[in-house]
Amino acid sequence: MTYLQPTDPGQGTQGRLDFRGVTKRYGPTIALSEFTHSFAPGRVHALMGKNGSGKSTLVKLLAGVTGPSSGTISVNGEDRHFTSPHDAFAAGIVTVHQELSLVPELSVGENIFLGRLPHRRRAGFSVVDWAGLHKRAGELLADMGLEIDSRQPVSALSVGQQQVVEIVKAMSFNPSILLLDEPTSALATREVKQLFALIARLRARGVTMIYITHRMSELFDIADTCTVIRDGHYIGSVEMKATTPSAIVGMMFGDAARATRPPRRDLDRTAPVLKVRNLSRGGHFHDVSFDLYSGEILGIAGLLGAGRTELMRAIFGADRIDGGSVWLDGRLMTGASPREMRKAGLGYTPENRKEVGLVQSLSTADNLCMASLGPISLGGFISRRREQPFIHRQIADLHIKCGDPDLAVSSLSGGNQQKVVIGKWLNRHPSVMFFDEPSRGVDVQAKRQIFDIIWQKSADGLASIFVSTELEEVLEVADRILVMHQGAIVAEVDPTKTDLTELYGLCMEGARQ
Amino acid sequence: MTLVSQTTEAGGQNAPLRFLKTYPMEIILAALVIFLVVAAPGFASTGNILNVLRTVAMLGIIAFGMTAVIISGEIDLSVGAGAALAGCIVAWFSDSYSGALGEWGAVTVGFAAALLLGFSLGYLTGRFRQWFNVPTFITTLALFAALRGVANLITGGFPMSSFPLGFDFLGGGYLFGIPFPVYIFALTFAGMHVLMKYTSFGREVYAVGGNMEAARLSGIDIWRVKAWTLGLTGALTAVSGTLIASQIGAGTGTTATGMELDVIAAVIIGGTSLFGGKGRIWGTLIGVLFLGCISNGMTLMNVSEYWQYVVRGGIILGAVLLNQVLERVR
Repeated sequence: MTYLQPTDPGQGTQGRLDFRGVTKRYGPTIALSEFTHSFAPGRVHALMGKNGSGKSTLVKLLAGVTGPSSGTISVNGEDRHFTSPHDAFAAGIVTVHQELSLVPELSVGENIFLGRLPHRRRAGFSVVDWAGLHKRAGELLADMGLEIDSRQPVSALSVGQQQVVEIVKAMSFNPSILLLDEPTSALATREVKQLFALIARLRARGVTMIYITHRMSELFDIADTCTVIRDGHYIGSVEMKATTPSAIVGMMFGDAARATRPPRRDLDRTAPVLKVRNLSRGGHFHDVSFDLYSGEILGIAGLLGAGRTELMRAIFGADRIDGGSVWLDGRLMTGASPREMRKAGLGYTPENRKEVGLVQSLSTADNLCMASLGPISLGGFISRRREQPFIHRQIADLHIKCGDPDLAVSSLSGGNQQKVVIGKWLNRHPSVMFFDEPSRGVDVQAKRQIFDIIWQKSADGLASIFVSTELEEVLEVADRILVMHQGAIVAEVDPTKTDLTELYGLCMEGARQ
Repeated sequence: MTLVSQTTEAGGQNAPLRFLKTYPMEIILAALVIFLVVAAPGFASTGNILNVLRTVAMLGIIAFGMTAVIISGEIDLSVGAGAALAGCIVAWFSDSYSGALGEWGAVTVGFAAALLLGFSLGYLTGRFRQWFNVPTFITTLALFAALRGVANLITGGFPMSSFPLGFDFLGGGYLFGIPFPVYIFALTFAGMHVLMKYTSFGREVYAVGGNMEAARLSGIDIWRVKAWTLGLTGALTAVSGTLIASQIGAGTGTTATGMELDVIAAVIIGGTSLFGGKGRIWGTLIGVLFLGCISNGMTLMNVSEYWQYVVRGGIILGAVLLNQVLERVR
């Protein structure tokens, strides 16, 4: 594999972006380590790396959200030290973030010039020059080859058009470097084409673009080079013309060591404990069918936005479904509420434990008891004494390090908080558990412990679904893997008969290549 | 009560400081009482203390319910108007049905009707939030206006003093030397304290207010919890409204004006967070006592009514600031 040498510094500096030994630390954690690379001007540079590789840190540094701990970033050949997003802006770097920043109720034109509306004098007062604004906005839109009326509200546009308006807005600042953070994650294929046409047009004008995506196929359509980082380290840069998807996957994952896990057992696959048939929810997933057996760990792999979490939530009854059916222990449970699903023996640890998994203002003890208030109480009444076994059993079983369980759960580390969410459900002795990203934001040791818990419980007969963005984890933890792509299950794979490259390809393309 | 225990968090500090941080409002109330005993003529007399307690009782009965509502993350602005309406309903029943049901029978049915109406309106306010996504702030603001109108329609705009002989005992009478409403007040305090601290329902209120989505995903019926806290407060409002009508001897549409603000102020002074999820019934007890003492004390000291308003406003803001500051240093 040939990596690019840093570009010769002799050529033009407009649009050049150089990193020299840039390191970013968050406390003891090193998010980015000695990153050195030059992004050549006027090209589209893809930035690849799995979750937690340091990609978003790089974006934050470029957008001026945070400053480097050491090292220098130079823009257009000039060393810069950003202390605020405004500094990055002034240096000619504009970022289009993953979440849209448009105000839906305002017109397209007003959104483009938000915060710097043109004014004119009228009877001695300075008033907004609406005619001038829409004229300029119209020119900008036409210039980018877009047929969008600048007077219509942004809410009337499709998501793809909104994304395009966002880029037009960014371009109205005349940046020399444009940072695109997963611009296609919410777009349909046709809209992606429109976006790519715009990107190609900008490249022709000499704008340097840093393009972040998870979709491998896009790289080969739009990018000129691909830079890969892993665990905060610069791994290399390749010309898209001279590489292959599997070479890039290899750079992203390295030699992923497969850790030890208990041997997989043969399961009794006669009667599924959870049966899902043709389940659909408009815009999220469609026609999903699968079976889950007692003692089985079913992994669901897929990219962000593939519909994994939405599927879990819908089965659990947290979101409505549009069609299909769900059977739990042979009982039809379609359309049941989370309360009814809980009663039927299903537990769900959500992906964002901080926001929806725990009540941060309450104690560890209260959170552990939250799903079991019924069994704990006697005729509706609860006492500390009745709660004790429910609290201490989980603290002991799951090795939750919490000191005093009456202290706020918010004071615990991420891993311990995750264990509290799991413990909350194990207190109900569920027959089926959904673990949605249980290892996210959790340190390595806690991650091992959480996996051990899942393995142990499945050995005791618990059926579980394990969802993770980290494909290595899915391969390690699961007994069987379903791959989701754009809301549909596209493949079922045996983790013992596949590897990362194949699984990653399936997740991205939805089919074997 | 298993809210984050404040004492343990402040571990390592010296004892007096820790005490100060744990019981700020209790200490301020004690200081206020000592000040008033010394500075306000007649404050410490038995008659005056009982008088303060009677006033505080009317407010407190509702405030304990309101505490649960605010902890659950909602608000009820209609309690003042609701109290007036309840009094008018009882008076109207007494006026219209004394012949058919007997004097006390009519009052009893009237009270039952007021209780049921109070509960239903609160309960429906909660369900409105669920079904139509109307914030309780809006629904109860509408009720705030409408209920007072209904109260005046029932009474024709005049005080309706049709109560049977002896009815004034409920609001104005004494039992074993203590005003009768104080017993109801104490009973409500005990009941709400147990409900919030020792029942699964109370736990659910804290969970729902602390994080609605987490509570829902834990299988808690969040809308039922909210509707019941609002319904409970509506019922307690009817109780308080009946006591007030009994005390003044008439049902009138103009009583309890501005009471909702005093009730909410007491809850906030007691340390309950308007963002939901945090608060204690005990704190609200301190809050209502504090408000009662300060307004009684100022009247005794001949402070003008207008200044009293200013002081009350300052106290509300001061209490919230104090809680925020303590939150940070803890």
